[in-house]
Amino acid sequence: MYKPTVKEMHSFWERKETCNPSSPSKKPKPPKPQNAITIAVSSRALFSMDLEQDIYEQQGMEAYLSYQFQHETEPFAPGPAFPFIKAVEAVNAKLRELYPDGEELFDVVLMTSNHAHVGLRLINSINHHKLFIERFCMTGGNSPIGYLKAYHANLYLSADSVKVREAIEEGIAAATVFSPGKISEVPETQLRVAFDGDAVLFSDESERIYKAHGLDKFFEHEKAHENKPLDHGPLKGFLEALGKLQQKFYAKGQRMDCPIRTYLVTARSAASSGTRALKTLRSWGLETDEALFLAGAPKGPMLQKIRPHIFFDDQMFHVEGAAELGTVAAHVPYGIAQSGKFKFGEQFRQV
Amino acid sequence: MKALLSKSLRGKEVTAHSRSSAVHAVNQRLVSHNSSESLGFEVILIANECSEETKVKIVESVKHYGMEICKFYFCKKDEVIKTLQSNNVKLFLSTDSDDIYKALHAVMKLKLTYDISTGVVCLHVLLSLDVPAAVLYDQNGVLDQLKVTFSGDIIGLSEDSLDSLADFGFSESQIKTFKSAKICIKEFAVLIGEIRRRFGHENSPLCTCLITAWGSRNVCLSALKILGEWGLDVDEAFCMAGAPCSPILAVVKPHILWDGGLHNLRDLPNFEL
Repeated sequence: MYKPTVKEMHSFWERKETCNPSSPSKKPKPPKPQNAITIAVSSRALFSMDLEQDIYEQQGMEAYLSYQFQHETEPFAPGPAFPFIKAVEAVNAKLRELYPDGEELFDVVLMTSNHAHVGLRLINSINHHKLFIERFCMTGGNSPIGYLKAYHANLYLSADSVKVREAIEEGIAAATVFSPGKISEVPETQLRVAFDGDAVLFSDESERIYKAHGLDKFFEHEKAHENKPLDHGPLKGFLEALGKLQQKFYAKGQRMDCPIRTYLVTARSAASSGTRALKTLRSWGLETDEALFLAGAPKGPMLQKIRPHIFFDDQMFHVEGAAELGTVAAHVPYGIAQSGKFKFGEQFRQV
Repeated sequence: MKALLSKSLRGKEVTAHSRSSAVHAVNQRLVSHNSSESLGFEVILIANECSEETKVKIVESVKHYGMEICKFYFCKKDEVIKTLQSNNVKLFLSTDSDDIYKALHAVMKLKLTYDISTGVVCLHVLLSLDVPAAVLYDQNGVLDQLKVTFSGDIIGLSEDSLDSLADFGFSESQIKTFKSAKICIKEFAVLIGEIRRRFGHENSPLCTCLITAWGSRNVCLSALKILGEWGLDVDEAFCMAGAPCSPILAVVKPHILWDGGLHNLRDLPNFEL
């Protein structure tokens, strides 16, 4: 009985990429999914496809596909998540320098429900912008949720809030990315990720108290439960994943100028309710590099100073405020702040 | 023009119901669009020689499940290839990878025999005898949509890259088989493309898919372009770049999976017939 003998195909990547003779010799090989931190990004989050989206909405699928086909060789312009993905790739490059055989890296997967027809233009765009995206799923209109699970995605970014909601309901860390009118310049040498606290890193327990009983009751409750860690929220796992990569830099003496920097940007106040937030993070063995307690002040101006590549918040009010001042903000549709009700359960995958 | 699929059994019942229903769904939609449609699927069933009792059981089972099988062949194992060729079969489905290997290998033998004596004319003859072979993927797929999946590696990898597979334990004859498989699948892909074009991009009873397991995104790009040149614009495309395919295939749920003999798209389970 014939059986093919196949060595570890991973090393297939060490071959020169002979399919494209004009490209330079070696490409870095993508890490094995079980070792990597997988970020799934949709086509509209990665690239600017507003015009094409309009065509789809106004003229339908056939016109949309026909347009894409005709413009196949025109690369898309960068979208809201593009700077974030570029920064992620820069971190990978540094990790590869320090750990040449290491597999604990980011793995960026293009996860789009676009028809494979559009695939040609998307791959051409990836080539044009020299992105290191080798894995993708073009689901031809089907929901990406099953594929996100198959890839064990640590984070899913999409411009489609319906898909993001579905993902959150399935226990996948996800956020809807919004494009600011004008994106502020962000650092190229350091990946900066900012998180809201409640209903993003933490559960929405305290927000429920605040909504039901007001600010005073909220303060009372937080003081009384100061030493009781909050339950975890949808993006706790992603912060944990970032922390693991940070440790790899620290181990090589790069704590002070670490290529990854994380921020907690919360409406809690340092004097009171902030304590519980910090104690919770500590109990999880996690930390953020900076913690900004705004005591209810708007987040936009502070984020403008920080210049993160992405900011996650569960409230559209803060997302919009951030976007107005040039920060790429992503909405996490979880918890009491949303119009629908969903319970975030134990489904989130622990990294 | 007809696309013929044949299925191979080992004398026991096979749960091919979902695939047959999906094929039936495609045929029905084709005819509903155009009652004089000449394009469609005809399914013939090939089984090993067996007792009269088993033959009756097979035919009865087919009737019971309402499967649209127009011909039955019960033949010896070594007659399978001849049967495929005499029926001008465009795609041979089997859960037996031995049968599939022989079908592909038979192509190679013919090529070698004819090459010397008859040259170009013989190549033309050869193409009509080529029988692309694919695996019946044993998943309970959606019943009203036929999902056909192609390997992006075989279609998209350049000649050089296919040759470099020798460094990974593949023999020269295996590599020749892969190259020939790529030529072989074209006719079927062209037909599938024609059928696919009868339907719109949404709510189609036929869905085509490309999975590139090992190749880079440019290999996938190349495969998409080649299939496009053959008239087949695939609906779904996946590029794994070395990541395991099984979790993705579990979501895609193809009915037919063509990997050109590379066997890199799936962990080979033992199909219980």
